Amino acid sequence: MNNYHGIIFAYKSYPELRELVAERTAASLPICSRYRLIDFALSSLRNAGIVDVGVIMQRDYQSLLDHLGSGKPWDMSRRTGGLRMLPPFGLPAHHRGDYSGTIEALNSVASYIEDIPKKHIVLMIGNLCANINLREVCRVHEESDAEITAVCANYEPDVLHNRYVVGEDGYVMQVLFDRIGPSQGSMPALECYIINKDTLLRLMDRCRALDKYRFHQDAISMFLREGGKMGTYIHRTYARVIKDVDGYYAANMDLLDPANRASLFPASRPVRTKLESGVSTYYGTEATSKNSLVADNCIIEGTLENCVVFTGVHVGKGSVLKNCIIMKDGVVGTDTRLDYVIADKDVTFSSNLAITGTQRLPIVVPKGAEV
Amino acid sequence: MSKTCIAMLLAGGQGSRLYALTQDVAKPGVPFGGKYRIIDFPLSNCTNSGIDTVGVLTQYRPQQLNSYIGSGQPWDLDVDDGGVYILPPYQTAGEKGSWFTGTANAIYQNISFIENFDPENVLILSGDHIYKMDYAEMLREHLNHNAALTIAVQQVSLEEATRLGIMSTGGDGFISEFEEKPAHPKSDLASMGIYIFNWQKLREYLIADENDPKSSKDFGKNIIPAMLSAGERLWPYRFSGYWRDVGTITSLWDANMDMLSTTLINLYDPAWPIYSRSPVCPPHFTGESSSVVHSIISEGCEIYGRVENSVLSPSVKVGKGATVLYSVLMPGAVVEDGASVEYAIIGERTVIHQRAHVGSEPDGSESWGVATCGPDIQIKEGAAVPAGAMVYTGEEV
Repeated sequence: MNNYHGIIFAYKSYPELRELVAERTAASLPICSRYRLIDFALSSLRNAGIVDVGVIMQRDYQSLLDHLGSGKPWDMSRRTGGLRMLPPFGLPAHHRGDYSGTIEALNSVASYIEDIPKKHIVLMIGNLCANINLREVCRVHEESDAEITAVCANYEPDVLHNRYVVGEDGYVMQVLFDRIGPSQGSMPALECYIINKDTLLRLMDRCRALDKYRFHQDAISMFLREGGKMGTYIHRTYARVIKDVDGYYAANMDLLDPANRASLFPASRPVRTKLESGVSTYYGTEATSKNSLVADNCIIEGTLENCVVFTGVHVGKGSVLKNCIIMKDGVVGTDTRLDYVIADKDVTFSSNLAITGTQRLPIVVPKGAEV
Repeated sequence: MSKTCIAMLLAGGQGSRLYALTQDVAKPGVPFGGKYRIIDFPLSNCTNSGIDTVGVLTQYRPQQLNSYIGSGQPWDLDVDDGGVYILPPYQTAGEKGSWFTGTANAIYQNISFIENFDPENVLILSGDHIYKMDYAEMLREHLNHNAALTIAVQQVSLEEATRLGIMSTGGDGFISEFEEKPAHPKSDLASMGIYIFNWQKLREYLIADENDPKSSKDFGKNIIPAMLSAGERLWPYRFSGYWRDVGTITSLWDANMDMLSTTLINLYDPAWPIYSRSPVCPPHFTGESSSVVHSIISEGCEIYGRVENSVLSPSVKVGKGATVLYSVLMPGAVVEDGASVEYAIIGERTVIHQRAHVGSEPDGSESWGVATCGPDIQIKEGAAVPAGAMVYTGEEV
């Protein structure tokens, strides 16, 4: 038995994800032909042998519940421990709005956290597209005398994010909040932490007393101000935190690059997901497919170029799809042209259409729509 | 608790006519049609037909099959009061245990297993057929006709009939005669090797057959003729859908090619899914220079070359400038840059190194055939494997 317990934050929707989060949270966004975003956090935990995991959710979690099921695909269906869904249960009755910060989300499940029989807790966000070698992070955490170890990236995110200024001794000196673009002498946070359980409970308590609930601005700042030791681990392969449509689109397109796929799907740490019944994909006699990722159970009779296609999609003869993301069970009739289109689940495009978005502004077609 | 019907799946056959492909795995464990193994078809048929108890009789090279079937979860056969059971031959105290000596003997040795479920009927299946069949419908006919045995039959040409077990029916529709591989067939109804027996009857005949030293302990040769001559009610269940025996290299290759046509057998029908144990892999990728036409591609594949009229299992790699035509590539096979594979079956994890060639198109000659490479073989750079060749694991080419 290892000494780690996972907590995944899956309650955020991010308004800039627009139609894509109308009926789901960011953590259950379908990505890369067959996965949900949360699969990366779950698989990172599973591949480090951490199978006791709580998933904090607040609303619109039906799709997430359906995806997680008993946790079996991640070996998290256990006799003791395993996967636990954590919808709000510790909140006062008058509480209506969203959690006003990560710490409030944690406080809403405080009794669950108090009962965790492990020494360390891994905190992860559900909307991080990265395969993090948590076994290594755990080792680094144990070898240091830090109470918190933060996972940082060596890429420059194009969305608002927090950064750490690290001193010569390797410990974090300062947090820079809500930055965009690179800045010298600091590293972007991937919002993945290993924190000692006692430290976390102490910070939750202190924040509740002050009625301040933001993780970085309040809890981490307080921790550092009081001389707490926070180490870092640099994740050097592919990573992207997805908070808006641009980022979602870019992440899918990133995966058309074999180097990115190799870093996200290493053979030694596979990304696991819900099982689908398996029939292979059929390419018709007039099909063409270039630079595209296609899941199983599709019938492709037209042309794909730079596309990410999910399970159960049917592309009719003469149709040409370029730079598109077509989610599960999408149907494209014959002789239809789509360019820069993101089609949510169960979208039907009739024949002889032409829909063109742009790279800066891909067209998002909501779930179940008939075009 | 008593069950109306349980299934016993005969999966012990070596499949010696598949040669290199069954060196390490029993025939039912051979990959098929992209995502599947042959045994997925009978197992999925059971689940889709509401049969939740399946005994799988294994004997030859059972390790891969055992781990593939596991708890039966991929086929929804991990149920509390039934499920899938692997049944190898075993020894009993005081007696000398033995290998299964025939199909009937395999069931005879598992009478006590069957009795655990106290079934009214037992469905006997073989693990080397590709088909979708609703056993519940067959069971209904069996019960409606109050038959001791119902045999699934298919209409075949008279030429084919000489190679199969052929049934003649009397005026009442029941089976009146059964001939194994007749030179002059009297009927065109061939047995598909799928039987539903009334369990009490079967038990009686199995015990009698076991005590007959002259018997070869086989359903087709002994049990069925014995029941016929005793005047039991044998009903033919007529099945007209797709059904193929994949016991030889040619028939295995043919049946794989059939999967490219949704009119012969539709694997995309959500009402009758064929389940399989899926490996964990990312979606398949078709590169900038690739061309994929009239083919089946599975997850985890990376295609940079040309693939036509072929069936690719998960995690197959086809390099730049490589060609794959009319071929079956099993899981993890690799065709490196500039290599070609035509009219061939390539076993699991076998690597066709750069500029090597395997197989060739039919030239009309007698000696032509599908080229076959077993699993875990390295075909060296620039090497050539001729049409009809059979390369075994461990051989150097």
